[in-house]
Parts: sequence; structure tokens; C-alpha cells
Amino acid sequence: MLREIGFAMTAAGLMVASLAHANQNQLELQQNPEYWATQLGNYQGNRYSELDQINRDNVGELRSAWQFSTGVLRGHEGGPLYVGDGRLYIHTPFPNKVFALDVEDEGRVVWSYEPDQDSRVIPVMCCDTVNRGLAYADGRLFLGQSDNTLIALDAETGELLWDVSNGDHTVGETNTMSPLVVHDKVIVGISGGEYGIRGHMTAYDVETGEQVWRGYSTGPDDEVLIDPETTTMLGEPIGEADLGVSTWPEGEWERGGGAPWGWITYDPELDLIYYGTGNPGTWNPEQRTKDGEPADNKWAITVFARDPNNGEVKWVYQKVPFDEWDYDGVNENQLIDVEFEGEQRKGLAIIDRTGFGFLLDRESGELLVAEKFAPETNWADSYDMETGRPNVNEQYSTYRQGVGVNTTDICPTAMGAKNMQPTAFSPKTGLIYAGINRICMNYEPFETEYIAGQPYVGATLTMMPAPAQDGDMEGRLGSFIAWDPVAGETVWEIDERFAVWSGALATAGDLAFYGTLEGHVKAVDIESGEELWRFKTPSGIIGNVNTFMHEGKQYLAVLSGVGGWAGIGLAAGLEDPEEGLGAVSAFSALGDYTKLGGVLTVFALPD
Amino acid sequence: MTVFIGVSGRSLILTAVLGLGLPLAGFVSPAVADEHRVTGEAPGAFVVEDDRVDPNTYEGYIAYTRVCMACHGPDGLGSSFAPSLIRAAERRGWADFAGTIAAGREVQPGQVMPSFADDPYVLANMENIFSYMRARGEGGLGRGRPKIIESMQEETEAPQEGAESDEAVHDEKADG
Repeated sequence: MLREIGFAMTAAGLMVASLAHANQNQLELQQNPEYWATQLGNYQGNRYSELDQINRDNVGELRSAWQFSTGVLRGHEGGPLYVGDGRLYIHTPFPNKVFALDVEDEGRVVWSYEPDQDSRVIPVMCCDTVNRGLAYADGRLFLGQSDNTLIALDAETGELLWDVSNGDHTVGETNTMSPLVVHDKVIVGISGGEYGIRGHMTAYDVETGEQVWRGYSTGPDDEVLIDPETTTMLGEPIGEADLGVSTWPEGEWERGGGAPWGWITYDPELDLIYYGTGNPGTWNPEQRTKDGEPADNKWAITVFARDPNNGEVKWVYQKVPFDEWDYDGVNENQLIDVEFEGEQRKGLAIIDRTGFGFLLDRESGELLVAEKFAPETNWADSYDMETGRPNVNEQYSTYRQGVGVNTTDICPTAMGAKNMQPTAFSPKTGLIYAGINRICMNYEPFETEYIAGQPYVGATLTMMPAPAQDGDMEGRLGSFIAWDPVAGETVWEIDERFAVWSGALATAGDLAFYGTLEGHVKAVDIESGEELWRFKTPSGIIGNVNTFMHEGKQYLAVLSGVGGWAGIGLAAGLEDPEEGLGAVSAFSALGDYTKLGGVLTVFALPD
Repeated sequence: MTVFIGVSGRSLILTAVLGLGLPLAGFVSPAVADEHRVTGEAPGAFVVEDDRVDPNTYEGYIAYTRVCMACHGPDGLGSSFAPSLIRAAERRGWADFAGTIAAGREVQPGQVMPSFADDPYVLANMENIFSYMRARGEGGLGRGRPKIIESMQEETEAPQEGAESDEAVHDEKADG
């Protein structure tokens, strides 16, 4: 129903829009339920498919149609695109190969592309050489290479159309994210929060690769593209100028991180893009105080709503002022329309690093809901809904505990209660489906010195499984949950041995899909969470489960290939909190279950 | 109570059972300090005492965490794509370990140990990293950030080879 209205509106809007903006092709494609034209399925980031050929009655018969080895070993994030031309477009981690595979010929390689990159970028990537995938519009594929080169390829031939440098890996800037095409611009952020970089979001012309605008995450208003008179915070104008400078000790904003390396979502009606910024530079909070007092370090860990045409900031919401835990605020902003206290609201929901599930009004930036989806979360007891600030628990404040003090049993860990793995939202159930991490940490800040191109971390941390409640799987490190974003409650939960680091999918076939770090793809009943089907791929899954229809047949496709931060932190297992320092871990080591290797697996029902 | 002292090239492991009623520090420090001074020049020397370590090995932990952990995993344990350096330090001698850091190693395209030959911080800390890895292996040092053996703290006052980040050590001292 909703989709039909969407079609009609697009058709009517196209004539006008094509005059104002060169390119509405991506919007058109993603409104066709047979396609998977953008990494998150649609601009709203819903990862929801209207397809129901595969449904809860027949999913048990789902089987592998064909598999394709990428020949690349490290962590495979992101997923395949399908835009109706009979091909799947996939990418790999460094060296960032791109393949066009023939869906009708069991994945025959139609063309492939491999950029030539300086391998010195590898050691400055904090958390494996991952890449979250391609973007597509109007016959062009866009890819952000590890070395910050943004490229456009001709989707027909794989020929390079243009390339442009978005950053400098010799100072620790790298790229892991998937760009997003909005109108005639391709928009991309940057990684490097662990190297003291200064984060930015930048738009390039899809035709030429020319830079159109850049908005920084820290620094003076004219570089962040804030107008303190019109840009709002919790519904009110910011008022004070240059908070991106004044909320830092002298000059620290220049290495203040705020790297926006996660997903971008977009509301075509409001014409606003949404994304979150990462941690504020060094993990040692002491070095980010001002006059000996905690300072907000704006605009790190902040949700930005920007005009995609010129980058101007409509509103901001800082989720964690003065970070003390590396709660990198990049998690995707799901755009969902909800009924809140009897009123229809244009909502924005976040399953956040912090363990809190947020709901905001995406037009005004007002905070509506902030409740824990990971019940072990203890760094803050709650959020003050008036000020939008967390009520931090002193016991777990690494700043209050001090430099050189090991603050123990903080939940969640710096990996976050959820990391980059994107969530799904079903308009039929009104619920968000999310793979989450159930891991806590000890965190010890230490003084560190900034040297360009070298890690600027300033804290050591050790991780352990989150405490289990009665009925939970013993020693579990992850869960897959159904979350009510309005009530702020978990509806059902499935425990998993390891963090669930793959992107979820929800479908009109009453199914939710996700992958596990051991390498299973699982289908569960979207209402109850009951497992209905599983398939073991050759390696752990940190990619996203995507679906599409070709010649009347629905397919499911996922990249497996373990790695990412999960592959670094969990490979050897975690410490048992009950044992002393140095005890052999009683908890599962990922390395006992899975090894490297990138493979695309495509599934379908038997003919 | 166990004290491990490792020396590169040969391995000297002292296991002292302290049922003697002697204060630990009194028993250990002179021996440790002597041993440390004598072998200070040898790459891979380390002292482990109840999960506390000598200042150089501590520097090795800090350098490892800053530079190596992102690929080789927490506490030298390895990751899904890079090997455990504890094992590497055991199996390869100092020359091979240092040579790999300096020259890098291409296992296959995309799986690359980069060269750190142009990184003065890493070069200055190679011996300390090697000490930390041997302490983790032969020395039985546990996971996580070790503390420095208190009686060896003052040695950090003297200028150390490659201790560019010894502010962390000073902080320890200020705190302790």
C-alpha cells in the first residue's frame, strides 16, 4: 500500500525533480521491490524487502544456488547490489576488487576491476581492511577505496570514469564506508578516529568527481557548515558560535576525530541526509578536558542532519558529550514513520553503540525515546530527556576514576552494544531487527602524544562477556533482537555464541535474516524469533544479507569472510572475568570456529 | 610466587618458591636489578614478577598496543588474519623478528606485513616489543596491561633507548 503511493509520488515528482536535480535514478531503482540498489535497501536505511516468494512456509527449502570465491581473505563487510541488469555487483576488502557477476550463469565474471593502491594504507586501518560496499546510480558504480580514492566505474564495462582523492592515508585517514548517491552528488565520509584525524563528510559531482562541499565534524562553524542562528539542537537554535572549537582544550579539535565512517541515510521529502560522527580523538578523556573540567568535544558522537545540496546543517544531537569509553557514534539512523503519544511523527531510530535505543523526530531533532536495548548497559543509568544528556554512572566514568586507573566491568565495550552491522525495520511489525554485541570491558586511560600518521589512542582495554541473566546462553557474546523503537522495549531475543556482526534483513515473507560469526545464515520467524532455516557458509559473516528478484525468482545473497574488529578482538577469545589476569579463557575463541576467505553465496528456492 | 627472567639467546628462568617469609621486594629487587642491568643491552630481555614487568617490557606492551594490536590482536594473541606474535617471537629469533618489522613481508596480495623501516617510534621500540612477546610466552605474563615492578621504576628516570612514549610510565609513577 505504502509502496504504491510511493511509486505514484515518484512518477509525478520525477518531471520536476529532473529539472532541479540531475539524478533521481537511485530513488527510482530502490522503489522497485525486485532490486537491491543501495547497501541499506533504501534511502531510509530500512533493509526491508516487499518480496514474499521466500516466506515462513517455504524457507526451510531454501538452498544454495551458487557460490563465488572473491580470492580475498580479510573481512568482507557490505553486500551485493542488484539493479535489474542481470548482474550482481560485489566488492572486496583491500585491495578493493570489484566484480560484475552474471546471475543467469552461476556468477560468471562479466568484468572485474582492481585498483592499484599503496599497501602502506593497510597498517593505518584500525579494524581490518574492510569496505562496506558499492553505490550505484545511472549506469555508474561508486567505490571508496581504502586509500581514500573515490572512484566511478562504468557499470556496463568496469571502465574507470573518474577518481578523486578524499583524504591522506599518511596522516591516518582511510576509507571503509559505502558512499551514498543523492541527486547528482556522491557523498562520502572518512575513517581514522584512532589516528587523531579531523572527520569530514564530502559531496562530489557524480559526473565529474569535482568536490561540491565538505562539512567537518569539529572546528569553526563555517567549516562545520553550522549557522548558530538557524541550526538547531533539541529543537532550539544552537545560539553560541563555534562550539566545535570552544568545547575543546586549545587546538585539540584539529585532531578531534569525529570520523563519520558509518552509513548515511536520506529523507527525500525533507531533502536531508543523516549520519553520526565517531569518537573525539584520543580515548584518554583527561586530554580532552578544558580548564580541568570535562568538555563536550563537539561535534564528536553527534547525529548530523544536513542539506545534501550544500552541506548546511539543519540540526545536531550529540549523543555522548565528553566521551570516556570510545562510544563512536556512527551507527545508522533508521528513518521510520511512527505513532508517538498519539501523533504521527517522522522518526529517526538508532540502535546505538552506547547500548541505548534512541528515537528522535527527524524533522526537528527532538529526542523522544532513549532506553537500553542491551540491559547490561551501565555507563549511564538513563538519559535526561530535557537536556538530551546521559546520566553517567560515576563508578564507570573513566575520567572520574582517572588516568592510570583501570575502570572495570563497564558495559558495553568500546566495540559498542552494536557496531557497524546495519539493522532492519519492518513496516508490517513496526519493529527493528538488530544483531548486537554482549561484551563488557575494563578501560585504562593513559597520556598519549599526537604524532601524525600514528595511532592516537591513549587507553588500553580488555574485554569480557556481558553478565548473563537467568535463561541466557552461558558465555554468549551476542544476540539478535526485535526492538520496539517507540516503546523502547525488546520484544524477543535470540542468544548467539559470538557477537552478531552481520547486517539484518526483514521481508514481507514474515522473515528476518542474519549471519553469525561462525558462518551461519539464519532465517527466523519475524513475529516470534523462532529459527526456521540455517545454512553454514565457509567463513564467519560480517556482511549483510540482501535479497532481490530476477526473472520472477527471489534470491538471497550474502558475503561471508570473517574479519573486522570482531576478527581482531574475538579471534583468540576473551578473558574470563571470574579468572585472574592471564587465565586461559574459558570462553569460545572465534578462531576455533572459522577461518578466513571471502565467498558470495546466492540462495533460491528449488524450481 | 614465581619470578621469570628471560635473556635473549639463552633463557634463564628462575623459579623461586617464597616460603621463606621474606618480603617479596627485598628478595627480588637486587637480583632483578642486577640481572636487568647486566642484560639490558640484549634484545628480548625481560623480567616478569607476578604479572608485573620491567620498564622496557612495559614499554613493549605500550608500543605493541599502539602499533601492532590493530592487526595482531590484543595481547599478542593474533587475529583472524594476522599471526600471534608470541609464537613468532618464540619460533623466530631476534634477527628474524626485527628483520620482519623493518622489511615487512608480503604473504600474498592483500595480506601484507608492512615495513616499519621509516617509523622511528617502532624502530626504537623493536627490542621492547620483542621483550614483551617473550614475556608473554616464556615468561608466562598474562593478558592486559601489566604494571611495572615498583623497585625498577626509578630506572625510567634514566634516558632510555626508544622510550618516546614514556609519559605513560611517568603517569604510572605519579599515580602510584
